[in-house]
Amino acid sequence: MKQLIKLRVNGESYELQVEPKRLLVDVLRDNLGLTGTKKACEFGNCGSCTVLINGTPVLSCLTLAIEAQGKDILTVEGLARNGQLHPLQQAFVEHGAIQCGFCTPGMLLSAKALLDENPQPTKAEIKEALSGNLCRCTGYAKIIKAVEAAAQKTKEEK
Amino acid sequence: MAEHKVVGKPVLRVDAKSKATGGAKYTTDIVLPRMLHGKILRSPYPHARIVKIDTSKAERMPGVEAVITGKDTAGIRFGFVDTPRYPADEHPLAEDKVCYIGEGVAAVAAIDEDTAIEALKLIEVKYEELPAVFDPEEAMKDGAPKIHEIIIPAKTCAWEDWGVPRKAKPLEIKNNIATTLNVSHGDIEQGFRESDYIREDRFFIPTNAHVCLEPHDILASYDPFYQKLDVWLGHMGYELKRYWLAKTLGLPIAKVRTHNVYVGGAFGGKVTIFPYEVIAGFLSMKTGRPVKMVLTRHEVFAATCSDHRMIVEVKTGVKRDGTIMAQEIKMINDCGGYRGSSPVVMFLSYSYSKPIYNVPNIKYEGKGVYTNKMIGHPKRGHGLNQIRFALDSQVDMIARELGLDTVEMMLKNLYKPGDVLPNGDILYTYGLPECIRKVAEAVDWKNKRGKHNGRGVGIGLGAGDSGLPYWPFAAAAIVRLNHDGTATLYNGAVEFGQGSDTILCQIAAEELGMQTEDITLISNDSELCPMDYNNWLSGGAKVTGEAVKRAAIDVRMQLTECAAMALETKAEELEIKDRHIYVKSDPEKKMAFDEILRYSIQKRHGDCIIGKGYVKAVDEVEFYPSISKGTGRFTEAYAFSATAAEVEVDQETGRVKVLKLAVADDCGFDINPVNVEGQLESQGAMGLGDTLFEEVLIEEGKVTNPTLADYKIPGTIDMPEIETISVQTVDPKGPYGAKEVGEFARGSVPPAIANAIFDAIGARIYSLPITPEKILEALKNKKK
Repeated sequence: MKQLIKLRVNGESYELQVEPKRLLVDVLRDNLGLTGTKKACEFGNCGSCTVLINGTPVLSCLTLAIEAQGKDILTVEGLARNGQLHPLQQAFVEHGAIQCGFCTPGMLLSAKALLDENPQPTKAEIKEALSGNLCRCTGYAKIIKAVEAAAQKTKEEK
Repeated sequence: MAEHKVVGKPVLRVDAKSKATGGAKYTTDIVLPRMLHGKILRSPYPHARIVKIDTSKAERMPGVEAVITGKDTAGIRFGFVDTPRYPADEHPLAEDKVCYIGEGVAAVAAIDEDTAIEALKLIEVKYEELPAVFDPEEAMKDGAPKIHEIIIPAKTCAWEDWGVPRKAKPLEIKNNIATTLNVSHGDIEQGFRESDYIREDRFFIPTNAHVCLEPHDILASYDPFYQKLDVWLGHMGYELKRYWLAKTLGLPIAKVRTHNVYVGGAFGGKVTIFPYEVIAGFLSMKTGRPVKMVLTRHEVFAATCSDHRMIVEVKTGVKRDGTIMAQEIKMINDCGGYRGSSPVVMFLSYSYSKPIYNVPNIKYEGKGVYTNKMIGHPKRGHGLNQIRFALDSQVDMIARELGLDTVEMMLKNLYKPGDVLPNGDILYTYGLPECIRKVAEAVDWKNKRGKHNGRGVGIGLGAGDSGLPYWPFAAAAIVRLNHDGTATLYNGAVEFGQGSDTILCQIAAEELGMQTEDITLISNDSELCPMDYNNWLSGGAKVTGEAVKRAAIDVRMQLTECAAMALETKAEELEIKDRHIYVKSDPEKKMAFDEILRYSIQKRHGDCIIGKGYVKAVDEVEFYPSISKGTGRFTEAYAFSATAAEVEVDQETGRVKVLKLAVADDCGFDINPVNVEGQLESQGAMGLGDTLFEEVLIEEGKVTNPTLADYKIPGTIDMPEIETISVQTVDPKGPYGAKEVGEFARGSVPPAIANAIFDAIGARIYSLPITPEKILEALKNKKK
């Protein structure tokens, strides 16, 4: 039986009829067309489906859509504003942190949650914050460098 | 080195912004109207006869649009190898028996995934279990269960379709031996007689997985009115997929269109045609509706393919000074329930190692053996990982026993630039010695080696081709000049993370006096783009890159010729810069590209300036080398790598901590230095996983760790510092001197780490992955 739910995603509100068992990742992708959030392992092991709920990284493949009601959901599509890349996106682009790109949305959101809470993390803190996000392409070096660069840039701008 | 403006620079990736904003489209993201979802019912038995399949209940289920079994697809054959000698042995769905757990027996197309999954539960299959065999050495014994008795070829084999006038004959299988390799040079017995020291060892390389983050997927959409199939799929080159889809589904090749999508990782694991792809096409043709199939992670682990399991026995004879005189290698490749790429992986184990040590007397014997397990297919380096772990572990052992320095012994046995290999391939450039010296220096080899104090250093080597002859045997590119004086590049490369979209745009821009952003890219669409070997043959930079370069040069020549006419001067007097052509002696006299285009159309019969470029991987070769005998030209340029590792081993727990990896690669020329670094860091990480923890565990044919929780790949916290070193030898055959860079460094990592572990603890591990349990066991045995 479907039920009416209200979701707030990237600052916009949606009313949707979904079955209570539907996962957030599927609702984002299939109902809202926000396919930037990726499904790669189905069991919360790889971090590709990471979104932020009220600023906290959450695995949308382990989260029911109805659980996310009344909260602020941020997906990769919500990072850039007014045609401007978010500093993390800019740093990922500039530092060669993207290869196949399938892990990138989840990486960016985990990194954003880290920098929002800890704007000047150490390398060890970055590694720890991204330890749940798997990447098979990059070997992580450039991803870590990009997060460091985004943190540095934010510091300089302040 | 010539002065370049766009190539050789750290140009930002052209796909990065779309991937950073969630806009990049992968197959899994594509949705079509009236789209159905396909699912496959898979065998729970490793070896069983199918007695009966009843699909009637599933067919009656609301929302189910089609149910098929092996009866529907009977007679369709395909395979990674389909030659007169080795006819294809795979099929979309099992016809009379299953040969591994996970083999498909029926498939469903339904209105959504849940309905399709429910429908599978309603299909009743009655199996009669057969005795199974899982160990390749057991499988070769007389009396072992017979997995295949005779392989009946399809009406034509692929090689026949591609122009070899030889029919495939039914292939009788004896003792489950699917395939054999026999290569020899020199006199092996004489070589051993001349040796002062001979050593024999046996190594084991297990099953490991590609783990592309995007699962295997396809969307197939058949239009019955135009008899045309459109597909979007994860792949590494559309030519091979398109050929097989056309052949298996009985369509003309021009009636199959593969569309451009990004691919979320490939690593060799998306090269071959898979049963699910043929099934999706078949279901779409049956229903007249689009059918999407996205495999689950479990299916990807247990029912697509893995890297090759291999037993490698090496007997090496050396002089007292470390000169290798003879090397005899026996490979047993446990290829699984079907042949997969078995003959090729053994051929490549030989071919990729050949340009490393110059061994005068050499013999390779390989047997690919059927077992009731999942199938082996290419994975990054395709055979290099297996053979280098064996060969470079053994060289390290020999050097230590003879009191030699491993690095010195490696350097002593290499080829020299200009040397010719037994098959006629010429080593125009040979940066391997420099790679070895630089990585040794990077880990302070001389001071750190030989301490056995829980810390150690080790080295491993790698090599591979930069594009080799394979269907359709040509790479081509088209460049057109646009109205505004920019250009559009059409080429068949597929972007699966390696950076081909970017470097090909850089090459076109370089030749046209443009910036990368002036190039509009049309790639990876079989209908819009010209033929290409595609990237899975390691020739993305060297072969496709050269075709793009030639197409851009063609446009530049036309522009120059036209400008010479308009400016009433000679072509030699002109130079090209910033989308303008200038008279060298009088830069005030110039024409912008858009002006030249208008002039060309007006004065030259409407010539709107289109350039073409084409190239073969090996110009002299019309077909393909012999994969059974190792004869025939193979590639025009070998790329080389060396890795040095520094490790720390906790002798109480057996835990290995890799402190540093230094990965050096001779890729000829860095078209994009950031991209080259990224490829080397990537391979350092993958090689670390190969060495320390990656193994697909298979018990009685069943994969017992088919999730990313149970199959661990390296994460951020596993990664040490990786120092990347690019040795640029500027090969005369590659565009700007470029060779391959994306896959052959991986194979140099496992022996580097394994040798470093020995250096740390004085105990040798002969099988991958090198787990703490194996280290504790080796330490225990050492004490005895």
